[in-house]
Amino acid sequence: MALRIFRFRRFSTQLLLLLAGLFAVVQLSVYLLISRVNERNAIEHIHQNLQIGARIFHQNLSERIIFLTGTGKTMANDYAIRLLLKQEHLDAQTLASNLRSYAERVDAPVLTLFSPESEVWGTNKEGSGTENVGPFQYLIRRATENDMEQASGFSYLAGQLHVLVVVPLYAPKPNIAAWFGIAYPIDTERAREIKRTTLLDVTFSSAENEPHPRVLATTLAPGMAEKQTGPNSAAAGIMDGIHTITLGGEPYVTLFEKLELLGEAPARIALQRSLTAELAPARELERLVLFISLVALAAATLVIFGIARGVSRPMRELARHTNLVAAGDYTQRIDLPREDELGQLASAFNHMTEGLAERDRVRNLLGMVVSPEIATQLLHSDLKLGGEERVVTVLFCDLRDFTSFSEKMPPTEVLTLLNRYLDRMSGIIEQHGGVIDKYIGDAIMALFGAPVATPDAARGAVAAARDMARALEVLNAELQAEGKPVLAFGIGINTAQVVAGNMGSKTRLNYTVIGDGVNLASRLEGLTKDPAYATPIIISEATLAAIEPRPSARALGEVRVKGKADAVRIYALSARGETKPPYSV
Amino acid sequence: MKPTLLLLLAVTVLSARAAEYSCTISSAKGAPVADAVVSLVPLDAPVPPVPADAHVEIAQQDQEFTSYVTVVQAGTKVVFPNRDSVQHHVYSLSKPKKFELPLYNPGKAESIVFDVAGLVTIGCNIHDWMISHLVVVPTPWFAKSDAAGTAKITAPAGRYRLEIWHPRGAVAAKELTLADSAATKETAVLTLKPDRRVRRSVGTKTGGY
Ligand SMILES: [Cu+2]
Repeated sequence: MALRIFRFRRFSTQLLLLLAGLFAVVQLSVYLLISRVNERNAIEHIHQNLQIGARIFHQNLSERIIFLTGTGKTMANDYAIRLLLKQEHLDAQTLASNLRSYAERVDAPVLTLFSPESEVWGTNKEGSGTENVGPFQYLIRRATENDMEQASGFSYLAGQLHVLVVVPLYAPKPNIAAWFGIAYPIDTERAREIKRTTLLDVTFSSAENEPHPRVLATTLAPGMAEKQTGPNSAAAGIMDGIHTITLGGEPYVTLFEKLELLGEAPARIALQRSLTAELAPARELERLVLFISLVALAAATLVIFGIARGVSRPMRELARHTNLVAAGDYTQRIDLPREDELGQLASAFNHMTEGLAERDRVRNLLGMVVSPEIATQLLHSDLKLGGEERVVTVLFCDLRDFTSFSEKMPPTEVLTLLNRYLDRMSGIIEQHGGVIDKYIGDAIMALFGAPVATPDAARGAVAAARDMARALEVLNAELQAEGKPVLAFGIGINTAQVVAGNMGSKTRLNYTVIGDGVNLASRLEGLTKDPAYATPIIISEATLAAIEPRPSARALGEVRVKGKADAVRIYALSARGETKPPYSV
Repeated sequence: MKPTLLLLLAVTVLSARAAEYSCTISSAKGAPVADAVVSLVPLDAPVPPVPADAHVEIAQQDQEFTSYVTVVQAGTKVVFPNRDSVQHHVYSLSKPKKFELPLYNPGKAESIVFDVAGLVTIGCNIHDWMISHLVVVPTPWFAKSDAAGTAKITAPAGRYRLEIWHPRGAVAAKELTLADSAATKETAVLTLKPDRRVRRSVGTKTGGY
């Protein structure tokens, strides 16, 4: 799974990757969005500029026509030209020098004077032929035929695109004495003028369908304009209107327009703007945005790292403490002075640890008051009244003549001695899987096979009884050495079906066993006092039968038990038949 | 015969008591200013009359006036010969002398006497770029600064009003006394205005036409 590689053990790493990743995705989306919007805006902006540029171009031309017409009319009223025309013979050389002077005055490079019948009288260009006066004559004819005050148009003069104006020299109005033909070039300088105001590149070229289309003027770098002129160019076959063409590897949004010429195929005007150049400031901004994004990402990563650590460290601390608690150490507390959820968690954890420590104390206490098995049974089962029937081996052990014994000693010493005795006996019983059910004064009631059923409960009880006898000998030796009186006990063991469970009131329970079998065990213990049996340990046939293989035992005959029809056969564990220690068991 | 002798005598007397005046004119930037007119108008002595046959020429050649700045004493005859291949139409609208020499052909010459002192700016109706300045001064003691900006005048000792004029500069005037047989050397600084003459285009502009 692809996701697997993103599964890191540490929460801080996950959080860091998640947030930093999200942040990066957002930033990247924003960047791409800005980039797209910028490009769309740039194209939109170029479209507008192209239309504005085309309007400016046409307006420039009309203004130039108006200017040439106006100055031409003023010039026609000049005194000097009238004096020249007044002379008997037209002084061509003086006229030419005069036209040169006028051409300077009206800032028109071409100035020609025509007769009313449109024959050339003079021009400001010395030695110029008549081949380029055709367009003027065409305009004069048009103005004459249509009775217009002036006429204008566009045409080639000496291969160069010009705006042409013809204005009459009235003497006086409306009598036309001559025509002024004024021309102004639509050249690279004009193209540059438009570029200065609109930032658009401008190219004038001859008609596409001419045999040899050529570039007339351009603001593009040398060689560029040729790439969009002619039948094999980037703009071949492209109609008028806005198109994006590629020149020198750069996309140029281009507006193509026709410029109608006098009696010739129209010239082509191309206004264009490099999309790359238009986008340059936006790209600059995008680079800045990208830079800021990366810085922000780095900063965000640092902050997130800090936050993640702020979460992760207390988490690890909590985990460490949890392990300590699991290992049973309830003494540690987490110190996390935070107001947030982690602080609350730490506080709750501390409460929990306290609670656990409290429970542990209770359990320890319980284990001391009752046997560990019963304590466990109590802790793990629902505390309720009632019990279950099961086979249990019950062992009763009682000290001989302890009452008279205790009268000879101070009570505290009696208790000390008793505890010393009970401690040893209890230890042995527990070693053999027995459970102390209760102490009844100096007597011990122990259960084997309850509350936890064990297969060799009877064997454990018998073994415990033997060990208890030996332990009593050891204890007696100690007591003798201390100059204290020795102890003797009797043990009765019976195995029977009994009722085991919690007994008592609702508020106070005791785990115990009841039944005839229990009473018989107590009774057998009582029988050990009878010197006739000469044994400290009497076990019933049932117990003996429960041990496999059956151990050897001295039969003591039968006893009648209250409330039972059959007599019970009983046995002595002791081989020799002694009634006082040392017992031979 | 007698007047000639008298004049000779006068010249001798004057030369015996002549003083040398020299003025070097520079622009505010320190460059020498040529074509500046320096004249000394006597304040005490009477101004000698203009010789009857005295005349100055301002010709038209190559569609230009031959002289950009010309100085004459009031009453001097100025001749305007056309040594060109085209006709010219010389005129002036200046106050001291308004005149017009209507279109006249190469080889012809017109002349005008300028009686009133002052500046006469001369142009041509046919050619906008043609311009000439005729400075008419009420004194025979004048000079035009050379390429080094220096104008030298030899005049009798006495009190004068010094006047300096330049086509692109303001008139500077002051009183001045020239001592006997002494050379006076002065410097003057003129703040020149930009040259605004009509430029005559040379050759063809768009070519091929
Ligand atoms: Cu002239």
